[in-house]
Amino acid sequence: MRLTGALLVPVLRTLPWRALGAAGAVGLLIVSMARLTDEADEMLALNLLRAAALAFALGLAFVLDDPARHTTAAVPTRRPARHALRVALVAPVTAAWWTAALLLVPDGIRPPVGDVTLEAGAAFTLALAAASAAIRLTQAAEPGQAVAGAVLTTAVLGLLLWPGRWELFVGTQDPKWAAAHDRWGMVLVGAVVVWGVCGPEPLRRRVFLKPTRA
Amino acid sequence: MSAVMEAAPTATQTQSHNPWPAVFALARFEARRLLTTIPVLLGFLVYAAWIVWRAQDYADGYPALQDADRATQGGPLLVGLAVLLAVNQAVLRSLRRDTERHFTVLVMSTAHRTAAHLLSVVPAALLTAVCVAGQFGWQALKPGALGHGSPGELLVGPLTVLAFGAAGVLIARVIRTPFTAPLVVVFFLFLFLLSTGAGIDEGWTRWLTPVIGVASSNTLPSDLIGRPAAWHALYLAALGLTVALLAVLVGGGLRARSVQAGFVGALALTVLGAVAQGQGVSSEVTAARERATLHPEQVQTCVERDGSRYCAFPEWRGRTADWARAVAEVQSLAGGTAHDQSLLVRQRLDARYGLDGDAALDPATTPHQVTVGTAWGGNRVPEFSAAVAGVLVTGDEKTAGELCDGRMVTVMWLALAGRSDPIGSLKNVRLDDSVSGSAIVLSQTNPLTMTAGQTTVVRKLLEQPRDGVAAKVRTNWTELTSPKVTTARVAELLGVTAKVGADKCD
Repeated sequence: MRLTGALLVPVLRTLPWRALGAAGAVGLLIVSMARLTDEADEMLALNLLRAAALAFALGLAFVLDDPARHTTAAVPTRRPARHALRVALVAPVTAAWWTAALLLVPDGIRPPVGDVTLEAGAAFTLALAAASAAIRLTQAAEPGQAVAGAVLTTAVLGLLLWPGRWELFVGTQDPKWAAAHDRWGMVLVGAVVVWGVCGPEPLRRRVFLKPTRA
Repeated sequence: MSAVMEAAPTATQTQSHNPWPAVFALARFEARRLLTTIPVLLGFLVYAAWIVWRAQDYADGYPALQDADRATQGGPLLVGLAVLLAVNQAVLRSLRRDTERHFTVLVMSTAHRTAAHLLSVVPAALLTAVCVAGQFGWQALKPGALGHGSPGELLVGPLTVLAFGAAGVLIARVIRTPFTAPLVVVFFLFLFLLSTGAGIDEGWTRWLTPVIGVASSNTLPSDLIGRPAAWHALYLAALGLTVALLAVLVGGGLRARSVQAGFVGALALTVLGAVAQGQGVSSEVTAARERATLHPEQVQTCVERDGSRYCAFPEWRGRTADWARAVAEVQSLAGGTAHDQSLLVRQRLDARYGLDGDAALDPATTPHQVTVGTAWGGNRVPEFSAAVAGVLVTGDEKTAGELCDGRMVTVMWLALAGRSDPIGSLKNVRLDDSVSGSAIVLSQTNPLTMTAGQTTVVRKLLEQPRDGVAAKVRTNWTELTSPKVTTARVAELLGVTAKVGADKCD
């Protein structure tokens, strides 16, 4: 616990605040269109919130970047604890940002808050899970750029190619809304599982992908 | 003894200060890496799959090339965004791997390396051009293709990829952080993909985006489209060049006079293109649109086939044979004078709103004139057959559109009995794709209405052997086509036992 306290300030300083700030700013800029245009409807507001959540998820892809990764592998505080500390520090910022994004959407056209938050939470967790998988499977110290690219590619391809049987991106008036959000819940759980599996430092160095030096 | 005098070796220039071979070598290397990055590979794969999927039944196999050229523009946006992301990461690679210092000892300056990265986008754009050519060529080679494609519209795809690639390099040179490009891509995605349905902005600003959609699915003759395609292609090319030269300027080439001059020139071209493409529809095109809408006979050419006249806009001249086949199919089943009635099939359209809006056509009031639109294939064929049958039974299109009695059965049977799958065609021409109950029947002009009773009779007739019904139709032709004949009477004449309600139209 003392160790965690001692880690607090250095981790706070090394978090990628610039990436998070830029992502948050772009996200809020996108959502603010809901107030700026006159003909905004619920569907547009929903899509704006989704685009903003994607933007912030791209920022979160950089959160687990640690240039000192190879030297901290041997310290007594394990990687899950260090990653958890990073995420715990970012979580309040994320919550505040998401609240601001939701409040930017005018009252009348705001989609159901709980369900949209589930979608955003799934996207955020997916980005973090992808980052931890990249760290686990490669030797890259700062995989954030590749992870952001992967998350973005996944999002675009998912939007274009996701099979209609397991629809995820539905409108609020769609009768499949509830079923789609059960699936979003599954995505969230899956992302948490991947993150949990990829969290610990491997006992033996096994490199699955080509090592890239940072 | 004499010394052997050797000729002095000619001076050879050992060191060349020309960095361009190195620039091209780096560009080739970067181009190979760019084309094999995962986002670009996936982008091209999805793009190719999209092309194949779209081409299967595009325009029901009867494409108009002035529409097919526009249909090539959406897919390259995806490739362009992938290239933006990948080229941005490529420029930032030396920063990420901390090899920037090593490059300073090379003959190439930062500006030359920027230029090499810009050139590395060109093969991706060329590959896109090949895909666009393939997509367009596929449609152009179909036997039912007609019209003219516009090079300006076809160039939009590859030029979009070039401009996005240049933007990726510029972003990397201005903001040297790895998180900028993904965020920019999200912003572009949102701008181009999500907002396309949110109402098309009027005026000149809408032409500033790379791909400009149209609100209408109508096909117009290519000289009535009125889109500034060539100016837009110039604008896109100049915009890409401006961004590229700006990237070179920012990336260390600020001093080079040629780059400065080029940048100013490209900027001027961009402004010229932006102004020229925003001029709106010219008065000649507006006049031509009005003439084609109100007085089509002034621009159409007519041909005589099997005793009927077929008048089409020049680009559709080759399609009159298809129309004649559909007319012959219907007329062969008709009886009385209608069997040999000479018809005037005239192509009509409402081009006054260009591609910004759809307008319904009024039915023709001239006796024995049938209207045909600009699209063909698929559902358009039974719709045209229904119009022909309506004119044969009632005399003109306007009366056929107001039909509300037993003659509707004769019209629909004539229209559909000659088709290879009559019940399927019946389903297709009805708005709700049903084969029972009352429904609206689509047509080029005013839609027709079928009551539930009429639907039952027509379906039962279509299920019977055609020749038997045709004989009964010919025998009873006069009574079947007389006004005010009830559906119940028609069913009795044609030997169909069905519960038929009263004829009433809403």
